[in-house]
Amino acid sequence: MQVEQFHYDNKIVKQFAYATALWGIVGMIAGLWAAIQLYAPGATLNFAPTTFGRLRPLHTNAVIFAFVGNCIFTGVYYSLQRLCKARMYSDKLSKLHFWGWQGIIVAAALTLLLGYTTGKEYAELEWPIDIAITLVWVVFGINMFGTIIKRRERHLYVAIWFYIATWVTVALLHIVNSVEIPVSLFKSYSWYAGVQDALVQWWYGHNAVAFFLTTPILGLMYYFLPKAANRPVYSYRLSIIHFWALIFIYIWAGPHHLLYTALPDWAQSLGTVFSIMLIAPSWGGMLNGLFTLRGAWDKVREEPVLKFFVVAVTCYGMATFEGPMMSLKNVNAISHFTDWTIAHVHIGGLGWNGFMAFGMLYWLIPRMWGTPLHSKKLATNHFWLGTIGIVIYAIPLYWAGFTQAQMWKTFTEEGQLKFQFLETVTHIIPMYVTRSIGGSLYLIGAFLMVYNLYKTIKKGRFIANEAAEAAPLEKHTSHAKEYWHRWIEKKPMTMLVLSLIVVAIGGAIEMIPTFLVKSNVPTIASVRPYTPLELQGRDIYVREGCYTCHSQMIRPFRDEVARYGEYSKAGEFVYDHPFQWGSKRTGPDLAREGGKYPDSWHYNHMMDPRIMSPGSIMPAYGWLLDNKIDTASTPAKIRAMQKLGVPYPAGFDKIANKDLMTQANGIRINLKMDKIETPKDAEIVALIAYLQRLGKDIKATAKQ
Amino acid sequence: MSGIYWYKKLNNKAYRSILTGAVLLCAAPAALAAGGGQPAKESSMYDPFVITMIIIMLILLLAIGLLANVVMGAASYYYQKEKEREQQKSGASAVAAVTTVLLLLFAAPVFAQGGNAAIDAAATVQATSSFGGLSPTAFYFIVGVIGIELLVVFMLLYQLRVFLAKEKLQQDLAAQVVKKPGVSFWDKMNKLKPIEQEAQIDLGHDYDGIRELDNRLPPWWLYGFYVSIIFAAVYVWRFHVSHTAPSSAEELQIAMVKAEEQKALYLKKSASNVDENTVKVLTDAAEIAGGEKVFIQNCAACHGKAGEGSVGPNLTDDYWLHGGSVKDVFKSIKYGWPEKGMRSWKDDLSPMQIAQVSSYIKSIHGTNPPNAKAQQGELYKEEGAGNTNPADSLNNKVASATNK
Repeated sequence: MQVEQFHYDNKIVKQFAYATALWGIVGMIAGLWAAIQLYAPGATLNFAPTTFGRLRPLHTNAVIFAFVGNCIFTGVYYSLQRLCKARMYSDKLSKLHFWGWQGIIVAAALTLLLGYTTGKEYAELEWPIDIAITLVWVVFGINMFGTIIKRRERHLYVAIWFYIATWVTVALLHIVNSVEIPVSLFKSYSWYAGVQDALVQWWYGHNAVAFFLTTPILGLMYYFLPKAANRPVYSYRLSIIHFWALIFIYIWAGPHHLLYTALPDWAQSLGTVFSIMLIAPSWGGMLNGLFTLRGAWDKVREEPVLKFFVVAVTCYGMATFEGPMMSLKNVNAISHFTDWTIAHVHIGGLGWNGFMAFGMLYWLIPRMWGTPLHSKKLATNHFWLGTIGIVIYAIPLYWAGFTQAQMWKTFTEEGQLKFQFLETVTHIIPMYVTRSIGGSLYLIGAFLMVYNLYKTIKKGRFIANEAAEAAPLEKHTSHAKEYWHRWIEKKPMTMLVLSLIVVAIGGAIEMIPTFLVKSNVPTIASVRPYTPLELQGRDIYVREGCYTCHSQMIRPFRDEVARYGEYSKAGEFVYDHPFQWGSKRTGPDLAREGGKYPDSWHYNHMMDPRIMSPGSIMPAYGWLLDNKIDTASTPAKIRAMQKLGVPYPAGFDKIANKDLMTQANGIRINLKMDKIETPKDAEIVALIAYLQRLGKDIKATAKQ
Repeated sequence: MSGIYWYKKLNNKAYRSILTGAVLLCAAPAALAAGGGQPAKESSMYDPFVITMIIIMLILLLAIGLLANVVMGAASYYYQKEKEREQQKSGASAVAAVTTVLLLLFAAPVFAQGGNAAIDAAATVQATSSFGGLSPTAFYFIVGVIGIELLVVFMLLYQLRVFLAKEKLQQDLAAQVVKKPGVSFWDKMNKLKPIEQEAQIDLGHDYDGIRELDNRLPPWWLYGFYVSIIFAAVYVWRFHVSHTAPSSAEELQIAMVKAEEQKALYLKKSASNVDENTVKVLTDAAEIAGGEKVFIQNCAACHGKAGEGSVGPNLTDDYWLHGGSVKDVFKSIKYGWPEKGMRSWKDDLSPMQIAQVSSYIKSIHGTNPPNAKAQQGELYKEEGAGNTNPADSLNNKVASATNK
């Protein structure tokens, strides 16, 4: 048979690899900065773009979509060519993909810092960027499938199954969760409201972890780990079972982020049980990784690449066991809203994703530059710094989370809450300090890697086009008996469609009833739409990322009812586009904040939280006192809400600003009585109006 | 050779009973833990406790599994040898064989015990399901299971020791018997093919140099998967079909009832059961100091460190919006005046603390602190005290009019 000569494209791999290192460092610095703000509120610099509420989305988006995203593309572009024995389908598309993705990252960083956000975790980017993501993702898809189709290898290797499932599921998640109605160029409202928005958001959020941080990285593991260890993959049948089980079950587990919330109980239970069933499929990946190293453990001792992989896979196993445990209701009652969750995700993020990325870069760069790594010793040091960093990062946060949950829930014998919320925060500040030390070590490790790789690159010569040869694919004629799964490995399109069907089932079964069956969200007659001023205030709340520290969801626990008031009901959130339940309580819950404090309290508290609550770690929001409400946007916002089904009377958009000013004036007078002078169109007025509204509607029913 | 026949039979049976035991035991406490939805979780004590107990249970179970496997391995190794020796000098060590059979027979009830415990576990899940919290039954059950598990562990250890002693004896007797490199426990547990025999299961795939083996699924992994599916079915059944597990809202009710009972019991026993009808001004310096501490922590933000007022009204003057008697002050603190921005403190402060802080507030009356806020509300005169200034009263009306 005629053997064909061709070249692998290493240039695109190089570009993505550089981007991985760059954005990794940027994302980690953002994270460290945000972490420091938790014990040194002055670190916000009293500058809006660098406050926690804006920095935290920047950190999460940067590490997930910029650092891990580029890491995935690096690995996929390298391994796919070799597994398919073909150059990438189109160099032009590769280039478009690369620059498109970097453009999105830059746009994301800028808009997030400027406060343009949809207020939905890990999907904060505004609608124009959402569209750009979709387009670039399609470019990636065409390039990937083009390569698969012109492959010279009949069967698709397990890594490619994971790439395919990743591609199709991320597309589905992104599109469904990003349905939003634009108000202006950088402002939109989520199509969904309240409970439904929460369900869609966490279906997305959870599966962003599943299909962006897990399945593609598993694909990378299946390529780079056996390559680096030079050992055969442990079990093909385990690959098959854990692949299909993983993608089928993962998608159902989203509601475990919403246990004890106003989400219907049946959906919560599905989240719990599917999380438990997820343990084995997840561990299948870990076992296939670790057992592949059988007979190569002596190499692990010497090879930093394998060291990174071993810890990464182990962290993956730990996180995927811990996650299901946290999905049990009685564990979740303790872990949720605390730093336990943060510790958990960082075992996955720093351990699994970070170490896979580092291991991969240490393996790839010397190969693409045709030279050994500059210093194995330095890489080993990086490994130890990183590992110790993870430990010092995670343990204090587990401690903090557990301590805080216990303090929240402690009552005196007389039946009073024993601790003020603020006491529970100040108590764990030493843990926050320690955590940031762990994070710093990890970051220093990353710098060592950059230096090491830089030296390696300087030493070698880049092989932009790597020569390879293989016979073209003949028409398949063999009818020999094969393993049953082999037939689908020959049919990438069938694989794509099947994966889509498998992942669509779980989401559909959870979402459709929640949207269509009315009893899932019982209506409360006294719940009314926000006034224009409150709506503007809500948008400020979203802009400043208040949801990153404050929940708006009182769970049916004795301590929460005592601390915050009546537990939250599904019907209270029907006009919340987007929902703002939050996922972390660094500050207290705000679901029933309305009427708890006077207007002047809020004014002073926003100006400097430490005046009203000594020891508070909340940033000061001085600019809200000076900024003017963007009243020009009010009519468009009202119209958008009307389109979403919020029952403002017809033509209300025209008189909305008048209504807004009347309400604002009332607050201004109120503040004046407490010797506070403020213009009525200051943003603080709108925010106060919103905060004073929170959770009050339901009390009106009680009074009637 | 009947000994071997028995050994095999027992071995099979033991395996099966371990397996069933494991499945049931794993499912039971987990379902109990997750499903019970003990409102005990509300209390700070129980949750970590329950979790720890369950973890101990599971760890012990794992230990039993591991030990049993080792004992089994030792038994099979011993028998292998026994057989060889028998072929050499037939029927010489009948005594030894009999002993081992006896030992193994002894093992069976041990495992049976494990199985029983598991069935008990399942039964208790049913029984406790109606209990809200970690009832005494559940507690004793868990303790019982841990006890039984410990017993099993000790018995297995004992057996292992017996085998090892025998082995040592034989080695001493016949040093020429070469030890066979058996399959390691780790490999056995995971059904790993020894690396030397890897070629047999190489599928011949080659992806950029990556080969694939076809190792069997590790049995514990596979059975773990099955257990998780059983767990899921039991969980959904209990929460949504049989309703033997409480919904979130029911859990809250149970917790609240329990809390009320505990609180009532405590207040009945202690003397701190003051309310707005029985409260009296406390004059003891320690009480006032206690009140001051509470005041600085909770009230000073709005009423000023010296009670001079800022967001909230001045507490040192003669004018009160909601009455100035100690009973009125107590009531204002306890229930708050939410529409005016004064929140209720009854969930944060104990009745005694409210009495202390009320008394403290009475104690700072007339201290004239700097930056005092203008008077608000009605003039209040302590019962039995003297004059009224009409000018003040007028001022007060003006103030209350502007402060609406």
